[in-house]
Amino acid sequence: MDAAIPAADLAVARSLDEPSVIKRRQWPAHSLIYAGLAYIVAIIFLLPYVEMIIAALRPANQILDRDYVPTHWNFYNFIDIWSTGFGNNLRISLEVAGGSTLLVLLVAVPAAYYTARQRFRGRGAFLLLVLVTQMFQPTAMLVGLYREFLSFGMLDSVAALILVNAGFNMAFAVWILNAYVSAIPIELEEAAFIDGSSRLGALFRITLPLALPGIVTALIFTFIAAWNEFIVALTLTTSPTTEPLTVTLNSYIGQYQVDWSHLFAGSVISTIPVIILFALIEGKVVGGLTAGSIK
Amino acid sequence: MSVSIAEDGAVARTRRRPITIAARLAPLIWVGPALALIIVVVLWPVVIMVHTAFQHISPDGFILGSAGWKNFVYLWQEPDLVPILLRTVIWVATIVIGTMSISLVMAQLFNQKFPGRRAARWALIAPWAASVMMTAIVFRWGLNANNGVINIMLHDLGLLKSFNSDASDWLGTPTSAMVWMIIVAIFVSIPFSTYALLAGLQAIPTDVYEAARVDGAGAWRTYVSITLPLLRPAFIVALLINMMNVFNSFPIIWEMTRGGPGHQTSTTTTFMYQLKQSYIGESAAMSVVNFGLVILIVIVYLRATVWNKEAAS
Amino acid sequence: MRTSCRHLALAGVSAVVAFGLAAVSAPVARAADTTLSVVVADYGTGPADASLKYWQTIADDFHAANPTITVKIQSINWNDFDTKVQTMVQNRQYPDITEGDYFSNYAQEGLLYKVSDVMTDPSNLMPAFTKLGSYGGVQYGMPFTTSSRAFFYNKKLFAQAGIAAPPTTWDELMTDAGKITALGKIGYGMPLGPEEAQAETLLWFLGNDGGYQDADGKYTINSPQNVETMEFMTKLVKAGDTEPNPGTKNRAELLEQFAQGDVGMMNGITTLLPIIKTANKLTDADWGTTAITGKTGPISKTLGVCDFMAAFKGDGTKLDAIKKFIDFTYQDKYQIAFDQEYNLLPGTVSGAAAFSKIDPALAPFMTALPNAVQYPADTAWAQVKTQIQQIIGTAIGPDPKSVLDTIQQTALKGS
Repeated sequence: MDAAIPAADLAVARSLDEPSVIKRRQWPAHSLIYAGLAYIVAIIFLLPYVEMIIAALRPANQILDRDYVPTHWNFYNFIDIWSTGFGNNLRISLEVAGGSTLLVLLVAVPAAYYTARQRFRGRGAFLLLVLVTQMFQPTAMLVGLYREFLSFGMLDSVAALILVNAGFNMAFAVWILNAYVSAIPIELEEAAFIDGSSRLGALFRITLPLALPGIVTALIFTFIAAWNEFIVALTLTTSPTTEPLTVTLNSYIGQYQVDWSHLFAGSVISTIPVIILFALIEGKVVGGLTAGSIK
Repeated sequence: MSVSIAEDGAVARTRRRPITIAARLAPLIWVGPALALIIVVVLWPVVIMVHTAFQHISPDGFILGSAGWKNFVYLWQEPDLVPILLRTVIWVATIVIGTMSISLVMAQLFNQKFPGRRAARWALIAPWAASVMMTAIVFRWGLNANNGVINIMLHDLGLLKSFNSDASDWLGTPTSAMVWMIIVAIFVSIPFSTYALLAGLQAIPTDVYEAARVDGAGAWRTYVSITLPLLRPAFIVALLINMMNVFNSFPIIWEMTRGGPGHQTSTTTTFMYQLKQSYIGESAAMSVVNFGLVILIVIVYLRATVWNKEAAS
Repeated sequence: MRTSCRHLALAGVSAVVAFGLAAVSAPVARAADTTLSVVVADYGTGPADASLKYWQTIADDFHAANPTITVKIQSINWNDFDTKVQTMVQNRQYPDITEGDYFSNYAQEGLLYKVSDVMTDPSNLMPAFTKLGSYGGVQYGMPFTTSSRAFFYNKKLFAQAGIAAPPTTWDELMTDAGKITALGKIGYGMPLGPEEAQAETLLWFLGNDGGYQDADGKYTINSPQNVETMEFMTKLVKAGDTEPNPGTKNRAELLEQFAQGDVGMMNGITTLLPIIKTANKLTDADWGTTAITGKTGPISKTLGVCDFMAAFKGDGTKLDAIKKFIDFTYQDKYQIAFDQEYNLLPGTVSGAAAFSKIDPALAPFMTALPNAVQYPADTAWAQVKTQIQQIIGTAIGPDPKSVLDTIQQTALKGS
């Protein structure tokens, strides 16, 4: 672990998982100062969500009290929310986010690989198009999207939400993966060709494993974006049984009343899948975000 | 297939593979699905929207014929338009500058070795993992003039005299509402930017720093002359994505003020959504103007990256 | 060659995935059957008390009685109802029946069935709302659920502030609000935010013999009385007797604060009753209702609000099914079930008679209904309403007249 690390190579991601704590060494004084600062920052970033949990646990008659924590805790909000069909909306959200992620990978990996490895007519135009769609967000196109999916007969369907989320997040995936594949020496693949591998074989055996951090990044980026998407889902779904979580949560803000406890309880629950996903692949994300483009 | 061989079989044989119809179709096969998705989901709605911007549409959506440029004229005549455009520029500029400069510092901090670094990094992702809508709502909740926890804190610190007063009603007056919404926007943008910059920092070879140390460069000198230039690609990625997200940002303003009072905290994105309620054509015109602005940013970006490549080579 | 085939295979897989997702099978009805699409507003606060449940019961009962007619219910969050129905109409995807806001625009466009076509006994509909549901003298909207407003006050806070009785005039209201504000609470709750500003505004206008329209139906939004009213409201706000910046505060927020005992007085609606109950902070003895306060005394009128059912013609083939379903829905038991769930009032005469026996707490609101003042019934109203919601808050300030002038211009342009 000393000076022998070959620097900016694809193992960058792994250095994050370096088990620094396990080594029982004495931390120098300045690292403790860094730690203190970093903890303060971390706490600041957690505070709003702590407040969210506290609000979700307030009993009905203390919801607007002027105190930091209630005198009683009401855990019931986290339980009875499940009796309202919330699980169904959670499932829809998982389908939409999972489906979009899968579709993005299926479509973006071949495109990114091919544009990175081949020069062909229209390549520049395609990459420019990808860059431009990266800039667009669906908020501006609600009317058009609604009309389009109406004519497809796809309103109120998970498939429509998957298509839209995939469409608007694919650019980022192509972009990142293209940069990533470009950074992988072509000689590695050529070696595989010589060994008798087909192009697909080389892709699956050599390139994709090496590009894994990039793929993971694209994956988590799409998943989070689709998971949190609100305005398209609001426009394209029409009933409580077909809408994803974000829309359900929004309906706790009613005409006469805002159901704060359930709104916040649901919000807390809805964050959990993303946190889990992130925890599983955190190290790879840091490595993947730009490693490909730094070459 | 036979055609291409007959034409220049000799040339083809010198290449790695003979040109076949399938090979000619190869770009389409590899790139086609991506292209199809972009066309269907992104480009076609844009076409519909541009078309709508030139139609005369009644408030309840009946198309009454072509409107020519009228929708754009009405849009231009909106007394709120110019303030909204200016506000959008300020909104994007302050948030992007704020986010990027804070992220630079934070990436530097979180790149140091210290006990519990991993846990601290995890905490940082909370605003990214929770939806922006939820974060905006919880801030609105915390800023409530009657019982918001931020006001409770300020009150306990002696900085706030009374609840339900103008001083406690942060989201009720345009200026303080904008300040808070900008804070929230920076807050939710920081995780992504910091992680991107962190990745950039980790990709910088350590031997470069060793060389600098041998040359006797100080910490600040090293940062300015080595770290920053090497960080540029990561910085540009983060900057661009951040800029687009902020420009198109809808949930923060929508959940915290709905652009009110009046339109005094609207940006072009929320204003467009509000126009859609009664004036569909004009709203589409606003979208088209928004697109113009986006294209402008793209051009600026392309120039910047070309410059970047020239500078690098 | 082998490679190319593999290329094709890979692309084929992606394409199949992409387009397979696109192919969603639409439900196919059997030839003899009719499917009615009914779009309803959601009056609930989340999935637990979603209106979908109520409507699904009716739809199931109805299907049991009429096996050849299937009713498909779509429910839409109240805050998005107008926009979504509008989007459907814009795209010619007409629902067969809607329940929620009614737009005379759709009647004007000839999209709706007359009430007499789709209902066996229209005379049972509450007559007070006939005009509101009409266009060009013909009724298209069927009152489904109604509500009226009253002045709510917190007796506990009144006692603490040493106030003996609820205010009867504006000046008294201001004095009382000042005393309650001194306790650290909100004296008077004034929701002028985008959600329902048109109601609070109208209630104040009525207190000074003003309104949105005169007796002939001409818009009078910038009348001297209305300007004077806004000036008084500004005075009240400037004195700090309301919540700060009323132009940014919505009704739901203030109702909740009233229920938690943080608001001294506000114009409320029947739905505040269950909110008070859930909040579990005020007992029945802690709050009261009285007539809306006017400039010189309590006003005899109040605002009556009504949500309507309306039937779209579509291709004109479903008239019989629509009529059957509407007659079925308007049975007293369903009217009562709805109003018990949401603490609203019935839309029919027979429903009201039955309901007042069951729920005496709502009786005062019901007696107010026949004299209730309503929103304008013309086609300009939709735009006027949106504009009031967005900018009336800015009329609280140095120049209320110019804001009212702007809204008046919108009204004149639209009518």
